[in-house]
Amino acid sequence: MNSDGQPMRQTAPWPVEISQHHSAHPPDRTVAVEAAALNKWFGSFHALKDINLAVPQGSRIVICGPSGSGKSTLIRCANGLETFQGGTIRIGGAELTGDEKQLQKIRRTVGMVFQQFNLFPHLTVMANCTLALRRVLGKSRSEAVGIAVHYLERVRIPEQAHKYPAQLSGGQQQRVAIARALCMNPRIMLFDEPTSSLDPEMVKEVLDVMIDLAADGMTMLCVTHEMGFAREAADQVVFMDQGRIVETASPATFFAAPSQERTRLFLNKMLR
Amino acid sequence: MTTVEIFVGIFEGFRVTATVTALGLLYAVPFALVFGVAQYLTKGMARLAITAVIEFWRSSAVIILLFVFYYVLPVIDIQLPAITVAAMVLGLNAGGYGSQAVRAGLQSLDRGQFEAAAALGLPRRHILALIELPQALTRMAPTFINQLIQLIKGTALVSLVTLTDMTFRAKEIAESEYNPVGVYTSLLLAYFVICYPVTVFGRWVEQRIGGRKGLTNEF
Repeated sequence: MNSDGQPMRQTAPWPVEISQHHSAHPPDRTVAVEAAALNKWFGSFHALKDINLAVPQGSRIVICGPSGSGKSTLIRCANGLETFQGGTIRIGGAELTGDEKQLQKIRRTVGMVFQQFNLFPHLTVMANCTLALRRVLGKSRSEAVGIAVHYLERVRIPEQAHKYPAQLSGGQQQRVAIARALCMNPRIMLFDEPTSSLDPEMVKEVLDVMIDLAADGMTMLCVTHEMGFAREAADQVVFMDQGRIVETASPATFFAAPSQERTRLFLNKMLR
Repeated sequence: MTTVEIFVGIFEGFRVTATVTALGLLYAVPFALVFGVAQYLTKGMARLAITAVIEFWRSSAVIILLFVFYYVLPVIDIQLPAITVAAMVLGLNAGGYGSQAVRAGLQSLDRGQFEAAAALGLPRRHILALIELPQALTRMAPTFINQLIQLIKGTALVSLVTLTDMTFRAKEIAESEYNPVGVYTSLLLAYFVICYPVTVFGRWVEQRIGGRKGLTNEF
């Protein structure tokens, strides 16, 4: 805590234990997430085909594409919620090994926001935010509450702290989910279609919070259909189709002059 | 004997009925929790072994289990007190059913709950204890109340292994008084008097849970 009672806004270093997994290659801490030759199958369905993607620390990358293109699967691989069959994923330079303990350590540094919010319905907003602070990071109650209040203010709903998720609107729930992830002071935030299950009038309040985060320099990997967000906040747009990355470009290039025919087709439908 | 005297006579067996129920719960609740959770978490051979134990207790006839543990085990020099046999057999049978409620309750949770907790870096045991079980047990509360009522009624069988419960007392009185109609009607009423309040309690619990979604602001 600093003098005015707010938690320090300091980004934690990558845990040492994570980086030690790779003595052969010195860990590249400037790359938050790196997928190399990533392949995944669901049974006989080839969901991800030779994916190569690097998310440099401090960058904001938007992944878009038609449904079934593998974009959600890719982002879920990035914190070990999905296993994969070929290739590697490095988080902060450390390769994911599938080891449960390593995964737990890595997940502390990777925040995730889900399409369905996935707040814990039996816990208040405050308890949703403080749970992992207390149980995973071992913070005291007062310290955890201080951090939670800070991030609830950041997503503009400190007054809802005592409520249960079911008492909140969808937009409010998603903002709580963002605050819950931010409480862990992650090095990167993963967003898996964060506005797709929201009523249209609630999309903006969530996007505003995300744009704020981006402006603050948070590293973000975001699956979304919100092209406006991509234009405003992303420094790279990745277009996926049928398990492959079709095109990667800056938003300006991506929207004005995409190089691939498939991208043009998608954009025509998206932007009408 | 007046109806009231019959009723009082039957309730002389209440202590045994209550004791078997209470001790039975001491077997049933831990068994249901441990085996329900274990069946949910394990795979392959381990799960098969756990399922086999559950099915043994769940799928056997209680009356036969009582006879086996009380009359057959002494043949191989294992002599268990009747009250122990009664509580164990009835308790584990109820626990077998309860374990399926626990497993089903856990399986019915949205997968997103586990994923959100895992994404925060919570270890598996914390996810189970803080996220999954509280939600599953809330859903399962009505089933557990049903199981408790089944357990109370099931204790009527312990009269067959020499325990003087309410049913045993009723048989005694019926034989000495030659009044099966009065005695067994009173016995029916006696079980109803015990079980009905539990049903009412169950309804109260259900409404309480249904009334408010959340359970705690602490953990």
